[in-house]
Amino acid sequence: MRILAVRFVRLVAVLLAVTFASFAMVSLLPGDIVTALLGERATPEDQQAVREELRLDDPIPVRYVRWLGDAVQGDLGTSYRTGQPVAESLSQRVGVTLELVVLSQVVALSLAVPMAIAGALRPGSFLDRSLSGVQLGLLALPGYLLALGLIAIFAVRLGWFDTGGYVPLRDDPLGNLRSMALPAFALGLEQVAMYARVLRSDLIATFDQQFIWLARAKGNPTHRIVTRHALRPASLGTITLAGITLGRLIGGAVLIETIFALPGLGRFTIDSINNRDYMALQGAVVVATVGFVIVNVAVDLLHSVLDPRIRSAARPT
Amino acid sequence: MTTSTRRSHLVRLVGLAAASAFIAVACGGNDPSAVTTSSAAPATTAAPTDSSAPDTTTGGPDTTAAPETTAPAPEPKPGGSIVVALDNESAGFNPTNDPWSNGGHNVAKAIFDSLATYDAEGKVVPYLAESITPSEDSTVWTITLRPGVSFHNGEPFNADAVRINFEASLASPVAKDQLSLISSLEVLDELTLQVNMSQPWGTFMTKLVGEAGSQVGYMAAPAMLASPDGNRNPIGTGPFVFQEWVPDDRLVVVRNEQYWQRPAYLEQITFRPFPDSTARQAAFDAGDVDAYYTGDPADLVDYLAQDEAGEVNVTLGSPAGPDMIMFNTTVPPLDDARVRRALVMAIEVERLFAYSNGVGVKQPIYAPYATDSFWYVETDYPRYDLEGAKALIDEYVAETGNPVEFDFAGGPDPFVVGYQELIQSMWAEAGATASIVSRAQADNIGKVINGEYEVTLWGNMGGGDPDNDYQYFRSGTGLNFSRYTSPVIDAAMDAGRATGDAEERKKQYAIVQEELAKAMPYGWLGTNKLGIVARADLLGISDFTLPDGTPGQPMTSGHFFLKDAWLNV
Repeated sequence: MRILAVRFVRLVAVLLAVTFASFAMVSLLPGDIVTALLGERATPEDQQAVREELRLDDPIPVRYVRWLGDAVQGDLGTSYRTGQPVAESLSQRVGVTLELVVLSQVVALSLAVPMAIAGALRPGSFLDRSLSGVQLGLLALPGYLLALGLIAIFAVRLGWFDTGGYVPLRDDPLGNLRSMALPAFALGLEQVAMYARVLRSDLIATFDQQFIWLARAKGNPTHRIVTRHALRPASLGTITLAGITLGRLIGGAVLIETIFALPGLGRFTIDSINNRDYMALQGAVVVATVGFVIVNVAVDLLHSVLDPRIRSAARPT
Repeated sequence: MTTSTRRSHLVRLVGLAAASAFIAVACGGNDPSAVTTSSAAPATTAAPTDSSAPDTTTGGPDTTAAPETTAPAPEPKPGGSIVVALDNESAGFNPTNDPWSNGGHNVAKAIFDSLATYDAEGKVVPYLAESITPSEDSTVWTITLRPGVSFHNGEPFNADAVRINFEASLASPVAKDQLSLISSLEVLDELTLQVNMSQPWGTFMTKLVGEAGSQVGYMAAPAMLASPDGNRNPIGTGPFVFQEWVPDDRLVVVRNEQYWQRPAYLEQITFRPFPDSTARQAAFDAGDVDAYYTGDPADLVDYLAQDEAGEVNVTLGSPAGPDMIMFNTTVPPLDDARVRRALVMAIEVERLFAYSNGVGVKQPIYAPYATDSFWYVETDYPRYDLEGAKALIDEYVAETGNPVEFDFAGGPDPFVVGYQELIQSMWAEAGATASIVSRAQADNIGKVINGEYEVTLWGNMGGGDPDNDYQYFRSGTGLNFSRYTSPVIDAAMDAGRATGDAEERKKQYAIVQEELAKAMPYGWLGTNKLGIVARADLLGISDFTLPDGTPGQPMTSGHFFLKDAWLNV
């Protein structure tokens, strides 16, 4: 309980720091929301009138405190540009991004774990080197090209999946899968090399541990040694990495969402930045920050589950 | 259209990804709109029909020839749904307060009707209104409405509704410049509105056609305008009724069975924004999208070839706003007309066309209007002449002792930067040194408005009715970004908007073009084309008809009507 309380205090501190930083950074960018709102046909007088109406001439800390005062009461404000309540916009988009991010991690880990095990069992073998080559290829390929390549082959040429757009899961589960498959693969394949490389290294190190030698001496078959003894302790690094990646992607898989025309948090964030829509951006930052912190807390808890030593170290003596 | 009949774009999908950017959009204008209005259309109440014929056709790049008929045209039939791809999402759909790009206008043309539109000859004619007539001196306009027209929510479309729309526009900083000369509005009876002007305004009707710069022509339901979330729940009188909008994903409209004209053929249209042009094209090639518009010259060249093979339908629209550069005429060395002239003379536009894959689609341009436009007149606007450019720059340097050096602003897109580098190299050959400055669009617009620039790529000027450029070319508007002022231009721009007589207007705008060619505050780099690409069995986009059954202009500046579109399946 105490740990959760500490975590909560940290979350609040992180939220304050991040939201102020984002507020300040967008405010300091050249150009402002008024240009985006009114276009070039509005005269400087019109622009100034709107600037005053939105109280954009107030100092950044004053505007931040005003936003914060509303936010702590659950009011994330209304988008300057669309007039839509920010909370409503976010609720429409968070689900899309979460689904994309989770599916992409499923894809990434489903490919990375077998690759890492195969490589770690026979380091330096032809199979290991071939898999490394594939991983490095995926790592080197720009995400944009990977996404377009997948579209060209699997949507345009073969017609198996949709080129873009989002079908809600509750409307049509199969359609949802068709619409999310390529974005999930495009995003997931980028992560495969990273996970596979880290897990392979950790597995090789684990295979050299005494408890593995003991298991081998007892005559355990290889698959049992890997699944029952080696994978769990070796996976801590990969899980940490997956947590960081997951948290980062909640903030927005901007590129993939743009290419596949998905109405996710990433596009919302980038539109908000491009239009200097502070209100909308702050909402997106809050969601991303909370998501990041929650994922990291979950990763810490998972560590405790996977490694009893961490659990016992955390227990008061 | 089946996948097998489509030409594969696999290589281009990847290889031309970056090149899909659009110069005018990427570097210039602010909003939304990369283009202004249709160009060839003289858009007056008394325009001639020869040279002003709309540059719209189906079936190939020859935009003036009538399409050959080889078989009886199939009869339109109702039914079916289509998906239309848009290039971007709109912030909302309130015509009085949300500045729209092409995407917003295409949605708007399904939901709203505009008071006026273009007929086949490019003349502005009443559309939702029954008549729009000026007094003799064009200071009083009378708008008479059709009886029995209702908004989708059942509100009557009457004179009071038009008044409310105009008043909302006049109160909006986004739209008020479009109606700037209105001094008062009087509802004479249920169907008649009198619009009083502060000065003669012969071109008032061109502001009612529902395009960029004339968005106020769309009529929205008063209840929608009064509602705080009206911009997310648009209500018009148009052929389709708004059903659902999930921003950045889809906007769905369904057929208006109570439409005041013949109901549309299509039952439902889903508009989907695809911000990435390569992905948009891929979606069309995969059959996920049934129609989209494009201004990418490479796309157009490619699809026009497919159109000839009967694999797709391409409808070309009239030229959009041209590619251009703009000089700040108040800062040295650009305050010297010789330097501005030399910089334009040093640009070989064919090399720019090749860079943007526009050979065969883009055309050189020597004024704000294309050479086949009704408004174009021959002036002494310079042609490419490197030696002449060098001589002028040498003359300036010898006289002032200062080098010709300046900042050259544009967008951060790598394609735009490459475009700038090409121009930079041409200027270097003439002895001028340009430093490329990349700015985000909003930042560049702010700098231009405040005069904090030297030379910039720009857009949104020219190409349409010359009165649309009033704020840009006339001094004292606050939007004369080049800062070039001329009493001659001011007088001609004033005279041009005071009359509805096309020939008289042409005379006035000829004066403007001559003055601009002398002073060179702008360099015109080439025309842009926009076209609608549709699946082969999606017909009728080019058959847009007016209420009296005569043909109208189906597409202007990338905005198109879908009320007469149908699926031949």
